[in-house]
Amino acid sequence: MASIRFDKVGKRYANGFVAIENLDLEIRDREFLVLLGPSGCGKSTTLNMIAGLEEVTSGKLCFGDQLVNDIPPDRRDVAMVFQSYALYPHKTVYENIAFGLRMRRTPQAEVDARVRSAAQKLAITHLLDRRPSQLSGGQRQRVALGRAMVRRPAVFLMDEPLSNLDAALRISMRAEIKQLHEEMQTTFVYVTHDQAEALTLADRIVVMNDGAIEQIGTPHDIYEKPATIFVASFLGAPPINTLDGEIGGASGRPVFRCGDVALALPPAIAAPTGSKATLGLRAEDVTLDPKAQDDVAIDGVVNSILPIGSDQFIGMKVAGREFFFRLAKDQACAIGDRVRLAALTNRLHVFDAASGRSLAGG
Amino acid sequence: MSAAGPAGATGHVAGERHRRLRIAALWIASLIFVGYVTAPLVWLVSSSFQSEREITSKPPHWIPHEPTVQNFAAIFAAPKKDVTYETRRAADPASGGFIPSTAANLLPAMANSLIVAISVVILNLLVAIPAAYALAKIRFRGRDASIYAILTTRVIPDIALVVPFFLFIRNLGLLDTLASLIITYLAVTVPFSVFILTNYFEGLPDELDKAARVDGCSRLQTLLHVYVPLSLPAIVAVILFAFLASWNEFLLALMFTQTPNSQTLPIIVASFTSDFTISFSFINAAGVLAIIPPVLIALLFERYLVSGLTAGAVKG
Amino acid sequence: MTQAAVLARRRERLPFSHDERRAWLFLAPVATTLLVVAVFPIVYSLYISFWSIKLTRPHRQPFVGLDNYAQLLADPEFWHAVGRTTSFTVMAVTAICVIGLAVALLLNETFPGRKALQALLLVPWAIPYVANGLMWKWIYDSSYGALNGLLFQLDFIDKYMVWLGDANKTLPLIANAFVWKEVPLAALLLLVTLKSIPADLYAAARVDGAGALQRFLHVTLPALRPGFMLVIIYETMTAIRHFDLFFILTEGGPGDASHVLSWRIYVETFRNLSFGTGAAMSYILAIVTFALAYGVIRALGRNVR
Repeated sequence: MASIRFDKVGKRYANGFVAIENLDLEIRDREFLVLLGPSGCGKSTTLNMIAGLEEVTSGKLCFGDQLVNDIPPDRRDVAMVFQSYALYPHKTVYENIAFGLRMRRTPQAEVDARVRSAAQKLAITHLLDRRPSQLSGGQRQRVALGRAMVRRPAVFLMDEPLSNLDAALRISMRAEIKQLHEEMQTTFVYVTHDQAEALTLADRIVVMNDGAIEQIGTPHDIYEKPATIFVASFLGAPPINTLDGEIGGASGRPVFRCGDVALALPPAIAAPTGSKATLGLRAEDVTLDPKAQDDVAIDGVVNSILPIGSDQFIGMKVAGREFFFRLAKDQACAIGDRVRLAALTNRLHVFDAASGRSLAGG
Repeated sequence: MSAAGPAGATGHVAGERHRRLRIAALWIASLIFVGYVTAPLVWLVSSSFQSEREITSKPPHWIPHEPTVQNFAAIFAAPKKDVTYETRRAADPASGGFIPSTAANLLPAMANSLIVAISVVILNLLVAIPAAYALAKIRFRGRDASIYAILTTRVIPDIALVVPFFLFIRNLGLLDTLASLIITYLAVTVPFSVFILTNYFEGLPDELDKAARVDGCSRLQTLLHVYVPLSLPAIVAVILFAFLASWNEFLLALMFTQTPNSQTLPIIVASFTSDFTISFSFINAAGVLAIIPPVLIALLFERYLVSGLTAGAVKG
Repeated sequence: MTQAAVLARRRERLPFSHDERRAWLFLAPVATTLLVVAVFPIVYSLYISFWSIKLTRPHRQPFVGLDNYAQLLADPEFWHAVGRTTSFTVMAVTAICVIGLAVALLLNETFPGRKALQALLLVPWAIPYVANGLMWKWIYDSSYGALNGLLFQLDFIDKYMVWLGDANKTLPLIANAFVWKEVPLAALLLLVTLKSIPADLYAAARVDGAGALQRFLHVTLPALRPGFMLVIIYETMTAIRHFDLFFILTEGGPGDASHVLSWRIYVETFRNLSFGTGAAMSYILAIVTFALAYGVIRALGRNVR
């Protein structure tokens, strides 16, 4: 049983700093859960609390039905991979991987079998006699994974495990980690500030900010139906375009107004006329369309062009804000061009200006 | 281009001159330095190999003309005969200087010094390592206050402890025992040991601590399996400092020891210096004996000592 | 809601978590040791200083309150000792700073043999004060000493002189022996500070047209400030309490020329067996040491900020 339940959990440090407040979260057995958020949002603290490395100062933390608030890490069935890998510099790769098993008094034959099988799976058998200082970053990463794997823990915790790798390696390791999850059939809790990692790996993502949860959902939900303006702007590159304006109503249909821009909203948007709102619109959710209807149109003058190879991002000023849209690489566009964009109405995200919460109905 | 040529050439010549001047200055400075540090020691060693007759020559013989090991021989095979006024005169008719029968106390004193120093080292390690780990790696209320308290005990002058120590040790009936020295030397060594180790542990990544505990180590196992093996340089430094401090300590030993049962090397050596009839060549031999272990330690373990001595210097 | 709040407060009031209990367990040996060998004695010392304890009359030991202190402060001999301690300390610390800086500057250069010199530097630091004392006692010897021999051979003096026995020369000569042994630590502390000066600073000064001397005055010396502070604090604390050399070299003599505070504490306590006075005097010394450490660290902190 490796479901984990946070019940009004709080973490307050002795100096009075509150890292986590009233956290409610249920992590299901065998799911791949990613905690996503900017640094200092409390995601690592949450992970450390699961590991038992940080104390829960209020509320209840349970593994299955067992309250684990006061159980130290050595008596919890968890394994963890760290950003810096945290390999023991004085031990060989073999001893690094075997250490957790030895501490749990696993018989030597069993230790050896498990270490060798993990090493084989990770293709590091030839490194078993080396010391961590003789390994490359990618190799260390594999050793760290191996050290956690051999334990066959009920919960597998990863704290930004890929952040110290270079970009190419990071992408191939993502695939391996996903495969590892499939093979191990155990609960993974993974902390990252990298949205791409979160979207690739997760069954469910928990977006955190300032010690609280902003949204819990599948990668699709998080990206397509952000519950708050924070979630909307944290995911996506370039960041989602935002416009501050207010809700108007013309002929029964809600309209978002901001300067010259007036966009028709889907009928499901539930907000009284005249209320302040923030509109979010992703760069890929508009198209270049000179003949666009006025109620979906955004006009502007191109002031920057940022090619990224496969596509290009075009920048312009809209209602005083920088606004980016995506264009196929073969479409010509020059600085100074006057352009008209058509927004995809059903991809508009509208948030209450004060609370930042989504106004999408339902 | 053409103008740059000669200017560059003179620049080169000036650079060469400057380089030679620097080398000359470094040579002179190094020589002065070596002279300042070694001259007194060389004189000490040189006169310890001279006889009473030679040591009293004017001007002094910087290098012994007739080197002799009689002073050292007397320490290692001390004359067993009783010393009386007559035998004193007989020892060296030329000057009246003599090698005292108490020379026999030197080796036992050295043994006492060793026992005390090693005990202090072991107790330091036992006491300081867990404390330093707790201070460096565990977050707990009272941590800052503890660090402050330990640092404060470091600046208590030893002479301020002498009076209470004496009464305390006397009431425990421990006067003239090695135990009295071992206990009191902890006061002057433990705070520094904790300081060095805490500093070192703090420099090791927190994630190692977390990894070990998730791997199934209790706090104590984390300390023993991970931090202790990784902290050997700091542990060596602690061993050396505690050893040297105990080996060299004089004031407290002077107060608490009364007989050769517990007298340490510095005490016996000092007792010779206040007796005007004892040959200075012999006293110097005793001095040489007392400085051999520290000098060896300094030369062999320079790296560890320097890192320990300068820990926290830049932060301050 | 209120129940949760009550629960939360109860948890906060819980004295120690598992980890905190472990921390205190690990600290227990040190805490016990230091309580017994440092805290208890220093408190006990204060207590003793309020009594007139003389081992020469063990059965009458009246409480005298602050009398011991009052008598000390009214005693011109005490103030003479304070004066001698001060002049010894000032001479010694000044010389340690100057020589220490010279050595640090030398060792901060890169040249073959630098490592060997640094190892050599540790030798005076490592040897016992007693050995240092007898070494200098023999060097200063008025009949056969090296100092006389050297000065005579170099024709600086035409007859052997009395050194330690000359009341005017005693303190500087003892200070010299003290300096020889203390310079290494000072030099190392200054050396670390020197090494921590970023090379960019020198490059910038060079670009600004500063010569070697100007770079020394405007870059090196200001950057050495924290190092000097550390050296001055530490060496002052060591010098004012220093005892060993006074015992070995002069036993307070000639006359009372080297009767410094630490020597008087020793004489009061172990020769006159008047423990109350000794404790009072050593307590004054301890308070001065603490004030020094605290005051100078505070001043340093302000400057850094």
